[in-house]
Amino acid sequence: MRQLIKTRFVFLLPGLFFMSLFVLVPIASIFFISFYSWNLLSPMRFIGWANFKRMISDKYFWNSLVVTFKLMGLGVPINFFLSLSLALALYREDRFSKIFRAIFYWPCLMPAIAGATMWKWMFSYHTGLFNYILRTLGLSPIYWLEKPLNALFSVVLSGIWGVGFFMMMFITGFQNIPQELIEAARIDGANRWQTFWYVTFPCLKNTNLLVLMVSVAYSLRSFAGIYALTGGGPGYATTNIALYIYRSGLTQFRIGYAYAMSVVYFVLALVVGLIILRLQREE
Amino acid sequence: MGRKLFVIILSIFFMLPIFWSITSSFKGIGEIFSYPPTFFPKNPTFEGYIKVLKEHDFLLYLRNTLFVAVVATLLTVPVCLMTGYSLAKGTFRSRKFFNGLFAWTLFITAEVTMVPLFIVIRGLGLVNSIWGMIIPAVYTPTGTFAAVQYMRDIPNELLESAKIDGANEWQIFWRIVVPLSKPLMATLSIFSFTWRWNDFVLPLIVVNKKSLFTLQLALASIQEELGPYDWTAVLAFSNLTVIPTLIIFLLFQRWFMRGIMTGGLKY
Repeated sequence: MRQLIKTRFVFLLPGLFFMSLFVLVPIASIFFISFYSWNLLSPMRFIGWANFKRMISDKYFWNSLVVTFKLMGLGVPINFFLSLSLALALYREDRFSKIFRAIFYWPCLMPAIAGATMWKWMFSYHTGLFNYILRTLGLSPIYWLEKPLNALFSVVLSGIWGVGFFMMMFITGFQNIPQELIEAARIDGANRWQTFWYVTFPCLKNTNLLVLMVSVAYSLRSFAGIYALTGGGPGYATTNIALYIYRSGLTQFRIGYAYAMSVVYFVLALVVGLIILRLQREE
Repeated sequence: MGRKLFVIILSIFFMLPIFWSITSSFKGIGEIFSYPPTFFPKNPTFEGYIKVLKEHDFLLYLRNTLFVAVVATLLTVPVCLMTGYSLAKGTFRSRKFFNGLFAWTLFITAEVTMVPLFIVIRGLGLVNSIWGMIIPAVYTPTGTFAAVQYMRDIPNELLESAKIDGANEWQIFWRIVVPLSKPLMATLSIFSFTWRWNDFVLPLIVVNKKSLFTLQLALASIQEELGPYDWTAVLAFSNLTVIPTLIIFLLFQRWFMRGIMTGGLKY
């Protein structure tokens, strides 16, 4: 006991307790309960690999993976370039930059459900502002949420409200670049673009990768926003892996099956996470 | 010049959904569904807001949310502080291992373990209990890591000299670490409150009794229920849940900006 106090291990105990209970235990249980059939009412029944076999032949499961990666493939590049250009425009410490940084950051603080509600109202076919603008311009209105492909794009579009956070990551990166480097390039006659392209951008290599991977991680875990914007629909068009697991497990109570899919989800999240940690360590 | 124009145009696009949901929330039922829509409300009305307060139990959900957010914050801040202190300044041999173990929980969010987490919460008998939305949130990876980073900057000499002066480990923590961590505690409290206020996943899996709903959970269900008929009320409800986050942001803007720039805090 004295040793525990002396080495300050004792201060770790409360955090360790709660972390184990609500992170480690759920994760450990994934690897057991995924071999059972269970609907919460009847007792658990061991069924071996059946849940995993079913998963492999379940087209909705594959669809949920495809949706997850489509959202990532569309959203991550958009977020990356948007946040990089915003950071380039706003990294200086002047009044203009500070005000607009706050404006772009604040949607990140908004509750996801309220945010999705606002976007849903924007996307409304008859009464939404987007279609109002299209009609005013003489264009035909769009079914933003009612058609599969459109719904996917609308989810990505509403996701740009998250760029403020990545913008801040870039700005931090910019501010860590030694100013002498940039001035030296200027003195040597490089113009703004050349300075950016040959000095700033290469210096940001690590920040770039970090932003990229963190935005992959956020994309992978998107749930609440989609839940409230499209509910995963139309059909299964925007049902990503998180939504599909939620549906299977907590609305249809196919618990064992949801656990089996959680194995896949967990591995994806873990791999992305380990890459991020690696990048952070290098920084 | 080009940069300012780009920023201003983009910011207008960013603010459009907020603008549209504020103006629409003051339109009467007749006007909100009129076609083509009006840009500003012709006859502004508080109908939606009154309905939300009178018919849709806004105040009940507000009370639940405040309780969850305040109690969870009171519990999580000391836990973050202790964990961060131990991971940053501990001298036990396995400190590196535990740093790694805690670090990767950053990526195992409630979304990833939703169903297993539900089963654990159910096993503890916390389903449909307000504590089910509080206790699982006591440990927060992001908060813990902000604390670790902050504690690393506390000079070891300070802790050593206190020890030489005869202070024991508890006294060092209480008399040196805690007072030095006031800015950290403020940041963590603001963030933790906002996290709980905004949270959706935990309430969704823990609670299905309406009397225990938090604001975001209630908003999701009201949007589903009333969406087709009464957007005035839906938007009024939604706007009311956003106002406190806006106030917190305006008051503590500097903390938020500094928090993400130094501690990598999300939200």
